[in-house]
Amino acid sequence: MAGPAALLDRVLALASPYNSSLLLLIVFLVVTVVGLFVIRDLHTTNVEAQKIYAGSVQGLQRIGELQYEVQETRRSTFYALTTNDSNLQLEYADQSREADRLVNEGISEYLRQARMPHEIEVGRRLQLDWSGYLGVRNEVLASILEGSTKEAVNLDLKGGVPSFERVRQDLQEIKRLYDGQASQQLANVAATSRRTILRLIGILGITLALASASVWAIQRSKMLGAIQLAKLQMEFVASVSHELRTPLAVISSAADNIADGLVGGKDQLKSYGSAIQNQCRQITELVNQILLFASTKEGKNRYTLRPLQVSRIIDAVLDNTAELVQEIGFVIERRIETGLPWVMGDLSALSQCLQNLIVNAVKYSGESRWIGIHAFVHDSEERSNREIRITVQDRGMGIDRLEMPHIFEPFYRGAAVTAAQIHGTGLGLSLAKSIAEAMGGTLSVVSELAVGSIFTLHLPIVEKQESEMASVTSKPDPSIRT
Amino acid sequence: MRRLAGLLFILVSAVFSIAALSLGFALNSSSLSEPQIASEQNLALVVNLSNPVQNLSMPELRRIFLGERSHWPNGRRITLVMMEPGQPERAVVLRDICQMNETDFNNHFLHGVFTGEVLVSPKTLATPVGVRKFVFNVPGAIGYLRVSDLDPSVKAIRIDERGPEDKGYRLHVPPRSSK
Repeated sequence: MAGPAALLDRVLALASPYNSSLLLLIVFLVVTVVGLFVIRDLHTTNVEAQKIYAGSVQGLQRIGELQYEVQETRRSTFYALTTNDSNLQLEYADQSREADRLVNEGISEYLRQARMPHEIEVGRRLQLDWSGYLGVRNEVLASILEGSTKEAVNLDLKGGVPSFERVRQDLQEIKRLYDGQASQQLANVAATSRRTILRLIGILGITLALASASVWAIQRSKMLGAIQLAKLQMEFVASVSHELRTPLAVISSAADNIADGLVGGKDQLKSYGSAIQNQCRQITELVNQILLFASTKEGKNRYTLRPLQVSRIIDAVLDNTAELVQEIGFVIERRIETGLPWVMGDLSALSQCLQNLIVNAVKYSGESRWIGIHAFVHDSEERSNREIRITVQDRGMGIDRLEMPHIFEPFYRGAAVTAAQIHGTGLGLSLAKSIAEAMGGTLSVVSELAVGSIFTLHLPIVEKQESEMASVTSKPDPSIRT
Repeated sequence: MRRLAGLLFILVSAVFSIAALSLGFALNSSSLSEPQIASEQNLALVVNLSNPVQNLSMPELRRIFLGERSHWPNGRRITLVMMEPGQPERAVVLRDICQMNETDFNNHFLHGVFTGEVLVSPKTLATPVGVRKFVFNVPGAIGYLRVSDLDPSVKAIRIDERGPEDKGYRLHVPPRSSK
């Protein structure tokens, strides 16, 4: 369980900056997909419903009209029997003929729209039976008009009734066909609706599960972040404590020896004094760094920006770090291009920034004893993109690609560094980056494991060469109340 | 010479006048009593389209119109269709075919139906359209219509080998008076 859990936590750690966007994207995609499905199914249902209407419903309506006109034909014929007035009989004959004209038109329309073989067969049968009935009807009408009522009735009973019954059955069969079609289409619509509902339920369920998983992932990622921060803070406290304890132990030991009178002679006393001085300096630098970090976060830094020569900045840094470098036996290669334009900055802050980079280069050089400092102009086609670059290069252990996004975070110390028991507070690069940004520049890094690292300080070029005294406050942190 | 020419001119004029008068008499031989408002129309005898008869002689027509013949050659019963009394078409038929007046015609059929000599009395219809529709609907019907009232739903037969459009056709009806 530890394996998958660790992998999941690693994935969450990688995805944590994008959790909200990912969740939104997932929800958007799912809603879009669901929407498309629903629209498609609704469209299918609509098409089916239109087919039902155009086909079966209108068909049933037509058959109903046909049945009425067929009845009308017969009815008008019999009305003619109820009178002896030839003029009135002719009117009824006209009505009957008009009705059968409509029936003929209706049958033709049905045959025109029939598609299935059975529909066409029934339609043709109806047409035939109707023609047969009309033949009898014409004879009946003729007999009525001639005045042969009895003959008319006999004709109708013998021929008209059976042929009319055949017509009626044909119409019933067509009606049953339309009913069957409508039932089938209704069943299709119902099936489509059921499918749509099931899909909706399924997809909404998946959406709910995904949303829950996303919320869990975000919460867990935040928890991991909080745990990581707490761990880093504990490591910082432990590291600071250790950084303080070592010089304090030296100071205490030296003080004890002096107090116990074990130190004799001026030279020995001078040596002890020098050791105490060095340790105190280390403690002071550590405390200064911590205080500088705190003031950066509180937004209380005040920098004095003025035009500076790059060589002056580098010289100041090298002066500050000369003793440390020489003690450990490092060689610093200094390359400054001639005629470099000036930069705008605070000398003390920029010195601190480069000093932190050099101290890191010393700490993480491994067995190498070389550090390179190079200052040059980076040309660009756009005048506004020209800048001064100061690089600090080492040939040490390098930085893992996976740790690169985190090295500028406060208190962060890589696993390899911790494993190698290299002491530090995890604040140096964070401070250096803050200072670079306060000067209007940036800090970048290129590194390869077991090859080394190159940290580059990017500074904007000053257009005017006059000295300008300006006070600039760093950007306040909105979370801190003043 | 001049006197002779003048006498000859007078003589020729007189001959032409007499000839014109005579011609006028001949054309109006059967309707001298009727007012001559416009040109007369021919009266067509019409039967059903299914009737095979194409021509009838005047004596045959008379027999049919007096109910003395009951069936066509195809076996269909003959049904006579008349217009209402007072209609000029009916008057022409009574005069020229039946050679009877209204009273004699009615008495003939009363007597015939009573004695069984006549099977069916004629049908009486009010309008030429009614006559046309009746003949169209009844296969054995025979009626009469002005030529202007004819349409393809009925068939006009010839009388003594003369059709209604032919010269010498015997049945003429006065034009309808405008109301």
